[in-house]
Amino acid sequence: MKPALSVIFFTVGSGAGLGLMVWLLIASLMPSHIRMDALTFYKGAAIAAALITAGLMSSTLHLANRRNAIYALTRWRTSWLSREALLSLALYPVAALHLYALERGLPQVTPITLWLLVALALAILFCTGMIYGCLKTVPRWNTWMTPAKYLLFGLMSGAVLLPAVLSLRPAEVGPIGRPMMAVVLLALGAALYVAYLMKHPRTTHRINDALGVRAGRVRLLDAGHSHATFLTDEFGFVLARERARVLRWAAIAAGFVLPLLLCCFTQWFWTASVLCLIGLLVERWLFFAEAEHVVRLYHGQPHV
Amino acid sequence: MRLGLAIDLDTCVGCHACAVACKEWNGRSLMGGAPDYDAYGAAPGGTWYNRVRHYEIEGDPTYSPHACGALPDTDGLQPLSKTVNVPLSCMHCEEAHCVSVCPTGASYKRAEDGIVLVDPARCMGCNYCSWACPYGARELDQDEGVMKKCTLCVDRIYDERLPEAERQPACVLACPAHARIFGDFDDPASPVSQRVAARGRQDMLGALDYRPTNAYLPPRKPVEIAPTLPLRQGLTEQAKAFVNRLINL
Repeated sequence: MKPALSVIFFTVGSGAGLGLMVWLLIASLMPSHIRMDALTFYKGAAIAAALITAGLMSSTLHLANRRNAIYALTRWRTSWLSREALLSLALYPVAALHLYALERGLPQVTPITLWLLVALALAILFCTGMIYGCLKTVPRWNTWMTPAKYLLFGLMSGAVLLPAVLSLRPAEVGPIGRPMMAVVLLALGAALYVAYLMKHPRTTHRINDALGVRAGRVRLLDAGHSHATFLTDEFGFVLARERARVLRWAAIAAGFVLPLLLCCFTQWFWTASVLCLIGLLVERWLFFAEAEHVVRLYHGQPHV
Repeated sequence: MRLGLAIDLDTCVGCHACAVACKEWNGRSLMGGAPDYDAYGAAPGGTWYNRVRHYEIEGDPTYSPHACGALPDTDGLQPLSKTVNVPLSCMHCEEAHCVSVCPTGASYKRAEDGIVLVDPARCMGCNYCSWACPYGARELDQDEGVMKKCTLCVDRIYDERLPEAERQPACVLACPAHARIFGDFDDPASPVSQRVAARGRQDMLGALDYRPTNAYLPPRKPVEIAPTLPLRQGLTEQAKAFVNRLINL
């Protein structure tokens, strides 16, 4: 699949923003464990909102006909993309209500809006994963690991961002302890990513299946076109094996291992966050670049 | 009603007339619009609803009755390979996943005749439906920014101003080998249903369970032609051949 930068930025940026929002809200529930003044909370909320909004804006960049984007809210009964769009838009009024309730000090409203926001964030992450996970045409994606990855990586990058946000609080609050949630989620994330990569080499469809020929060897004599087509542009992306190997290790190192070490042994939480996001951008680029659509069989690829 | 095409892989000669006729009709039709990009330039491209590809099948016992593989068998007979031309356009699937994933409702499958269409007034050009299609039947119209696909010439087949014989998709009318037949798969007496009943249909990516309406009739088993000359010539034949060559010098 063609790795579209707008979608890569959207999924990583929004994912991190939603994850940060979830952990900020949960942190605000336990003031005895995580001391956070109101200003730091709002700074964190602003960062989360900026990431989510920039991601959503970026996601519209790959639309060829943005005028009709409003109709994307109408088919939530069948389409994961529509569900994601609808829930993403629903996030804003609920977040506004939560902030209003916080400001006015309405203790009977804040728990409802808080958990509603957490549920929305998790649902959006799951929907984003299912957009790709539900496609039977891309065997690489059509696994439970795809939504699990989106959900876990969003929460993980948010958990790494939380101590970075906490480091903005005034000095008299004291140093930040070891961010155990970030450490645990980074370890889980690394495990899931490695599992996803190891599941890769499974062949699911052959060129014989594409033509309905049971036995014999099938090969393409002529694709019928002399230059690039929509199909070769969209589905024909080829990633050199050596380059993929380097990028996978870069993603594992920058996205998981280095942030894990930094969170464990240092207080460089901003460095850990930036590294984690860069690693996830590489991981997301690979997610698209390595996925193969079954239409490649009709263009002569022996198996997908 | 379940309208669709039966495409005969045995008689298709791979001439691309169907693809060209499709471009010609849909280039400026009511539902269509299949533009070319840089048509006379260095890297011409375009949106096509129907593309023809050519494959070689080698070593399938259905088509190659004797020993298979790249080398001749013990009788000196060459393995038969089969060239198959495969025109591919929208299959108007029963389980049209392209329709269910569409977030805007621009893609729809008509209840009355099963034709899958795109409403350009709703499509936002996200390409998601083309990802959901295993057959590569959907291509983006880069001029309008909306998805395009085979309409089964819905603007021809119901047009009562056309003579009845011409109320068929343009590709079907153009096919010089009569390899494309149009009809209703729900009607067991229709020519498409009868062909499928007689010949069966190729199971193309059946594991994905999209249940295509269009049927590809499998290539027929070739008639084996016995070699007219004995392969190992005796001394007399070799002498005669030598004399013949001498005479014809």
